Amino acid sequence: MILEIDGIKKSFGGLVALDGALLEVRNNTIVGLIGPNGSGKTTLLNVISGFLVPEGGSIRFNGMDITGFRPFEIARLGLCRTFQLTRLFRRLTVLENMLLASRTQDDSLGSVFISRKKLALHEKADAKRAADILDFLEIGHLGNEYAGSLSGGQQKLLNLGMMLMSEPGMVLLDEPVAGVNPSLANRIFEKILKEKEHRTFLVVEHNVDVLMNFCDYIFVMNRGRIVASGTPDEIQCDETVIEVYLGG
Amino acid sequence: MLLDYALDALIYTGIYAILTISLNLEAGCTGLMNFGKVAFFATGAYTTALLTTSGVPVIFSAIAGVLLSAVFGLLVALPTLRLRADYLAIVTIAFGEILRMFLHNEDWLTGGPIGIRGIPQPLYQYFDGSYLLFYLFIVFITLVACYFIAELVINSPFGRVLRAIRDDEDAVAALGKNTFLFKTQAFVIGACIASIAGTLFAHYLSFISPDMFLPTLTFSIWTIMVIGGRGNNLGVITGSVLITVFERGSRFIKDYIEMPFGLEPYNVRIIVIGLLLILFIIYRPDGMLRERKSRSPL
Ligand SMILES: Nc1ncnc2c1ncn2[C@@H]1O[C@H](COP(=O)(O)OP(=O)(O)OP(=O)(O)O)[C@@H](O)[C@H]1O
Ligand SMILES: [Mg+2]
Repeated sequence: MILEIDGIKKSFGGLVALDGALLEVRNNTIVGLIGPNGSGKTTLLNVISGFLVPEGGSIRFNGMDITGFRPFEIARLGLCRTFQLTRLFRRLTVLENMLLASRTQDDSLGSVFISRKKLALHEKADAKRAADILDFLEIGHLGNEYAGSLSGGQQKLLNLGMMLMSEPGMVLLDEPVAGVNPSLANRIFEKILKEKEHRTFLVVEHNVDVLMNFCDYIFVMNRGRIVASGTPDEIQCDETVIEVYLGG
Repeated sequence: MLLDYALDALIYTGIYAILTISLNLEAGCTGLMNFGKVAFFATGAYTTALLTTSGVPVIFSAIAGVLLSAVFGLLVALPTLRLRADYLAIVTIAFGEILRMFLHNEDWLTGGPIGIRGIPQPLYQYFDGSYLLFYLFIVFITLVACYFIAELVINSPFGRVLRAIRDDEDAVAALGKNTFLFKTQAFVIGACIASIAGTLFAHYLSFISPDMFLPTLTFSIWTIMVIGGRGNNLGVITGSVLITVFERGSRFIKDYIEMPFGLEPYNVRIIVIGLLLILFIIYRPDGMLRERKSRSPL
């Protein structure tokens, strides 16, 4: 198990957003997380990635207890996330956003003065990798535009590109293809499928059909709890799931 | 006489430009609201004044000023940079005022309200008669050095993280970067550069007193940055030229022209700069020179 989440509790004032959620994710799988609006999916991702501190429960990543770690520490371990509402660096170019996501570049202050040649060399290699990813996502021609000038869908793609760029061990994707045209959305999931060899994915997605095609396993959330789980086939026939999510 | 006025204006321009480059690194590029810039300027000025009047060579006193500024920068940064942006603004204003009060009240060390006189002018004996020109040269060299260092920092992977923090700090953390560390380093570099400007200032005037380090100086530097173009070092240098030449020029010109309605020229100057600032914020918020798109890869 690459990720083990046990009994997570989180409330906002009186509102209980997570009420003992637990799930497990196996290495090199694509796992779907579905549930109605407000069921706590994003909150769960926020807790896993360290942006929210849970009131109870534990999170283990690769066997290590990371409960209470800070976001940057968790990301450094190779557990990365994207945001439901796209967040990128508007006054940086698309290419710079990608370069920023690279986890192998030396971004220390000292390197600025000491090893500029090495930085430039590494940067060239990164830029090449970035260009390939951007081309795949069909935004290769926008490399030198400000990220803030991209359309909503393109920004979503850039976020995905940054995720691929950082080559994490595990990725949490919060509605990665919302607002992306269906054929490209399919291509993206095919890419994710290919990446499965190297990484593990936990994907929040409302488009159940897409998940059914690509996921190995699906968890269903409702009111801060995992109410069902299983393979796509099992989920499709599950009574509770049909009740809470598929609209019965 | 006229030449002296011009040289004086240019020396001030250079010193303000160095200060603004340091503010630009913190506020323009990283988004750190430092409203206490004057404190680090004063640290450089007082450190060199105290040390050189007791016989320490300028080069060492300048370094001592930079180190002390770095320590002050750390002291301000460590407790506040973990908090939301607005706390930094409050703490830096407070720090500037506390330091000024200290300089004002601790006579035994700082000479109190009278300040420190007789700060040596380095190499004066060799440039008797053309000292202003020589000093302008020193200021210019320092400015060029600060400019290149700042550019080097901003246009590096390190600087890219700073510019990303300005846009969305949490998203930078999500990429595995310790944003607190980056902000602290930016703040400390800013403090060090400001201290160098203070050193130049003290030796130029050869006397300093606490009332030269009022919060209004910080706001002048902010004005220069906003008008010049935040994020653009050439822009903030241009801004320094514009504002300082206007500021100094109006000082000079007031002896020759009659103000209508008996207006006090000093007040008119502040009103004009204020109006200019407002017009820029409304009609050209990027300033005279827009931040350039960074060429990447390096
Ligand atoms: N920062 C917050 N402060 C207060 N309440 C919050 C906060 N974040 C989430 N909530 C509440 O917690 C509950 C779960 O929200 P969450 O965003 O996790 O839902 P979700 O499953 O991601 O929904 P969606 O499918 O619409 O994205 C909601 O009722 C929401 O209003
Ligand atoms: Mg959500």
